[in-house]
Amino acid sequence: MASEIWEALREVQLPLLAVLLLFGAFAKLGSRDASSGLSVLLPARLHRPAARGTGVLEAALAAGLVLLSGVPGEAARLLTALVFAASVAVLLLVRRRDPEAGCGCFGGLSRAPIGWRTLVRAGLLSAAALATLGLEPAGWQVLAGPGPVHAAVLAAELLVLALLSPELREAAARLRHREPCELREVSERSVARRLRASDVWRTNSPLLLGTEPLDVWRHGCHRFLRYDGMRHGTRVDVVFSVRVGGPRRTAVRAAVVARDSGASVASFGTVSARALQGPPRRLPAPRRAALLDDRRRDEAREAATLGEAREHPSARSDAWPSEDLEAEATGGRGGA
Amino acid sequence: MSVITDKHRSRARFTAALLGPAAVPEPTPPSTRVARGVVVDATSDMLCLATPAGEERFLYERVTSFWRGGEAQASELRPGDDAVVLCSHDGRLVAERVWAQAARATGVITARHDDTLEIDPGHGRPRLTVVIPYRTSGRITVRHPRLEPGYLFDAVGVWREGAVWTVRPATTQPPYPLAATPRRPPAQRYSGTLNGIATWYDPAWGRAPHLDPRAQATGLAYPAIDRAGHTGECDRRTSCVPLPLLSTGAVVSLRNDCTRASAALPVIDCAAADSWPCDLCPACGGQGAGRLASLTMTSFVALGGRLEDGCFNATVTVHNGEV
Repeated sequence: MASEIWEALREVQLPLLAVLLLFGAFAKLGSRDASSGLSVLLPARLHRPAARGTGVLEAALAAGLVLLSGVPGEAARLLTALVFAASVAVLLLVRRRDPEAGCGCFGGLSRAPIGWRTLVRAGLLSAAALATLGLEPAGWQVLAGPGPVHAAVLAAELLVLALLSPELREAAARLRHREPCELREVSERSVARRLRASDVWRTNSPLLLGTEPLDVWRHGCHRFLRYDGMRHGTRVDVVFSVRVGGPRRTAVRAAVVARDSGASVASFGTVSARALQGPPRRLPAPRRAALLDDRRRDEAREAATLGEAREHPSARSDAWPSEDLEAEATGGRGGA
Repeated sequence: MSVITDKHRSRARFTAALLGPAAVPEPTPPSTRVARGVVVDATSDMLCLATPAGEERFLYERVTSFWRGGEAQASELRPGDDAVVLCSHDGRLVAERVWAQAARATGVITARHDDTLEIDPGHGRPRLTVVIPYRTSGRITVRHPRLEPGYLFDAVGVWREGAVWTVRPATTQPPYPLAATPRRPPAQRYSGTLNGIATWYDPAWGRAPHLDPRAQATGLAYPAIDRAGHTGECDRRTSCVPLPLLSTGAVVSLRNDCTRASAALPVIDCAAADSWPCDLCPACGGQGAGRLASLTMTSFVALGGRLEDGCFNATVTVHNGEV
């Protein structure tokens, strides 16, 4: 059993290392911030080339771990172990040079200062790559036929790696707190997607004379797009405003403005950015309403209130001259 | 005079149509207390200025002061000088303060030859030649210890032979090059009213208002211009003040915290160079760090700023019109 687990542990390292290397490569190649990790030791002009070079090397190693077997596969595994071992040395130097610098392992996510967790993780990954030396199958073969032992070992190792990764906290913080919509950069493509999925666009698209906006501008949360249009033979400007954040169904507004007079001919979409109030809630069924009333009933309070009412001067029988009134009424009737 | 184009006006109109008129307040008309023109004649008791409106004459009072690279006398003003005049509260006839040949160099240093620097002001503006004369080099290097390519530079000076001759530093240089500027951490909250500092820039680069109508422009350049729809380059970075993204044509309210003067000013340009530093203004002991806007020369003076100081503490309000 122990040998089976050991074999599974060795085999699982190949796809796991490949995925981690690929993730790191994409993060480095896609990140604009190239001033952490190895770059701290290099002059400013080499920051970008160094980040790109490391990313390409990691992607190549990931491909080698998954695809190659035999001698080339062994070379890829050995090189991966050497790269991780070298990264431990580099990270120690970086920490000495700039204690505030991040490791840059996963691009912009790795901004936390280099600590013991990052160093242990790099050492562990180097050992994992060393453990794969001499394995028969290539990475893709492991992926093709994983067993339950592989899954269990992988889960345990992922847990260890999660504990050793300061990037997870940064990723969670990014997911939890997005920048307010006024400050958020948005691409034209995402705005166009939001606009074209709206009812306001579908209603007004027959008026438009072109597919491209004549002018695009921004005001806080709103991106505006002005289109050339024609309405009942009159030239108009159809202006859409797309809200960057908030609920989708209230995101798009539009105004149709006559080009000659500048008067607003029609407007579409919600006036408020807040979600509209929902319909009134249904009244409870009579039986349930009676039950609820019964629960709210307080007999002691009712009795006290009734007592007070009876004691009240206006409730006493002498307060109302009923007999005199009756006598007057009878006398009056008799006299008539 | 303003350089607000029809496009800017229509943007403001359409924004008001969709977000309500509160989103785009009416811009404050240009101040009648400020004039800019070319000195035709400067005698000991009167200044004659050629402006696009014609020749204007300004009388001096006992308190009238002059600046031409330093406090100066009226006789030091030369015919042909580019001058900005702040008139007294009584009327446009009497000058309160006159600045001649005022210039500013804000940007990143791209080259250095002895006492001459080449500055890139960003957002596609032409590069500036800056001369640091020996007389002012001490003051400049105290606040700008690294006069090397890649570092920021901001100084006030005078125009002379097509170059800016520095007089005094306008800020303290950050100790790192522009490329190594730390990023602002993501802002958690947004407020439509922000504190910081306002600076000035010359939209006409020292040219007379006859040659360049932008010389008398009223408005401000904004450091957080949205990239979409902005014609021309705007190589801004994320400003250290969480400024909302706007486009040219928007109108913001700006208050000078030192004099309490305020105005609604249109955004007329990108102020990329103001998104780079995160500095304080010592003008009246303000606490807000980071640049909110760069006002045109005449707007800066109209709001009570002194060109030689280079900045004042300000509060900006951006109306979003949301209910």
